[in-house]
Amino acid sequence: MAKITINGTVVKVKNGTTILNAATNLGIRIPTLCFLEEINEIGFCRTCVVEVKGEQDLVSACNTEVKNGMVIETDSKKVIDSRSKTLQLLASRHRFDCWRCPKDGMCEFYDILKEYHILFEEFGPGIARGTDLIEGSGISMDQSKCILCKRCVAVCSEVVTANVLKFRDDDGMNPFVSPTIGLNFDQTGCIFCGQCVKVCPTGTLFETDHIGRVNEMIQDPNKLVIVQVAPSVKTAIGEDFGYDIGTPIKETEGKMFRALKLLGFDIITDVAWGADLTVLEEGTELINRIQNGGTLPLFTSCCPAWVRYAELYEPEYLENLSTTKSPHIAQGALIKHYYAPKYLNKKPKDVYVVSIMPCTAKKYEIDCEGHEVDDIRDVDAVITVRGLSKMIKRQGIDFKRLDDYVPVSPLAKFTGAGAIFGASGGVTEGALRTVSEILDKKPLEKFDFKVLRGAEFKATKGVIKETTITIGGHKLNVAVVHGGAAIKEMFTRIKSGKKKYHFVEFMACPGGCVNGGGMPIVRDMPMHEVVKLRSNALYNQDSQDLPLRKSHENPSVLKAYEEFLVKPNSEEAHKYCHTHFTQKEYRNE
Amino acid sequence: MTIESRDVINLFENWILDADTKLNEMDLVKNIKTYLESQHPEICGKCTPCRDGVVRLERLLDKYVDGTATLDTLSELEQITYNLRASRCSVGLDIGKNMEVVLENNYHTLYKPVKKY
Repeated sequence: MAKITINGTVVKVKNGTTILNAATNLGIRIPTLCFLEEINEIGFCRTCVVEVKGEQDLVSACNTEVKNGMVIETDSKKVIDSRSKTLQLLASRHRFDCWRCPKDGMCEFYDILKEYHILFEEFGPGIARGTDLIEGSGISMDQSKCILCKRCVAVCSEVVTANVLKFRDDDGMNPFVSPTIGLNFDQTGCIFCGQCVKVCPTGTLFETDHIGRVNEMIQDPNKLVIVQVAPSVKTAIGEDFGYDIGTPIKETEGKMFRALKLLGFDIITDVAWGADLTVLEEGTELINRIQNGGTLPLFTSCCPAWVRYAELYEPEYLENLSTTKSPHIAQGALIKHYYAPKYLNKKPKDVYVVSIMPCTAKKYEIDCEGHEVDDIRDVDAVITVRGLSKMIKRQGIDFKRLDDYVPVSPLAKFTGAGAIFGASGGVTEGALRTVSEILDKKPLEKFDFKVLRGAEFKATKGVIKETTITIGGHKLNVAVVHGGAAIKEMFTRIKSGKKKYHFVEFMACPGGCVNGGGMPIVRDMPMHEVVKLRSNALYNQDSQDLPLRKSHENPSVLKAYEEFLVKPNSEEAHKYCHTHFTQKEYRNE
Repeated sequence: MTIESRDVINLFENWILDADTKLNEMDLVKNIKTYLESQHPEICGKCTPCRDGVVRLERLLDKYVDGTATLDTLSELEQITYNLRASRCSVGLDIGKNMEVVLENNYHTLYKPVKKY
């Protein structure tokens, strides 16, 4: 224990605590900009400086450990002056176009400038550090706003472990952050998970914008715009309109559907329907592979960021990936080729499918090879949760006062198994509910696979959950893996060959889709708590609100098979719901 | 550090050891600028006060060369110099301390050409 004095208050804290933590526990807030707990504690930005008695210079609170007898001042004139000056220096190299910035009000840099009342005259016109706009199909980067906090670099190497974004300081006076110099994101090893977008304190990194083309299509009278909403979107859309994190889905779901209707979307469907379909396809694939000795383990292919990871970094395992398209792509194909022609009397090319997703990688996924049928793209645009709330606000819709709307489309009816796809472990749980019933040939009694659900995790480690389940006389080793670091760890386990796995669910974001790169940004709560609250909302919807909880009981999915796809893994199903994967080249330098 | 900058470093050592070394205004500004430029290769670009502060100091000294310096210029020069105490490593801290000595010993030289009204 160390005895320290902060702003005159004497406290005892554990050895090894940082000044920042000690002050936070006392209720003293020290402003930070580059700090990310356990991921980026480097003291680059110098806004968290404090005065320590006896030290000549100011020290950074985020990475300085307390020493016995330290006397710390966090708000002396010297400290405040220094912070103001540092902020002025940062502002002098940042391009300000706040009113049209993609960060849309969540900018930490703006807030701190406001807090310290930095005057424009003090730092001048704000000349940008760089002028490059690096584009990518999922995320893009505008270097004129970078303040060199290095958060994205830390997340890319520690959490995602892709090492795409790098801090390039060959010229120490003009360093910059970029992927491989001269290349756009698609040519590098970026998997478009969007975790960097979430941590960026300014609008430097942002998701590629599809709102413009969606609005254009909504206004086009010849196009039928069909929207499909992912289950995890419903857990978070309320957060942008004053609801608490983890608000029960039934409170905001109806309002969101009404808002979509008001925005001008013609028909509303639910990706959880596509998830039910995916369960049947993927489950059948698993059964086939187990019974006919196919390549095992079977890897899920729902997460486009993970699929890209496999295509880039583990190409020898592409055989293991389930060929089923991700739920929204499969559903998009069926909307265009089955639902619209049969029920709405529209040709596939007159239909425009928009997905609302918690994910930036889905933006990349829709343009991938193989995600088209008869030369018509399965999905035309993807909007993130942040994008949707931006659209709602722009339209002048008062979200809280909306009434509930229940979508009438058969493709909006789903089961609990489809709903939990958004939480990590949900894909496996949904698949197991179906697979075990088919193999055991009797109704499942207990279908809450609690072992696969939530776990305390560290962002830098991710989570690997393993369990063995006996189904139809087969002992299946199942694993749920999420987070980049965990994916790496899982591959060392698979390659070591000590344990034979049968089914592995991979997700690139720690916590699954509920922590995706397109979700609303939460600043004052640790990541694992946010994940827990949002996943609980999904699991509660599954156990309380939905009468049907197994995918193969979904009547409208079964009807689709009856009328169109014949049976899971049939020739038709392969045409519309399956894809293929190819190794991709990349350069990470 | 380059060979050309050695003279300037020597000069700074003189300044630090001996407060009586005085220069006229133009020479002073020129020498400080040469010194700051000589530090560029040392700067790693990681922390704000040093990376952006040093460039800002040079721009402020340019105002002296142009003859457009005002009292604000001088006070900002002072603030940025003292803000270098918030640097992350000794490169920035040393530049800051050297600049503090310069300001201490030559404040009147820098104050004289400043436009007061």
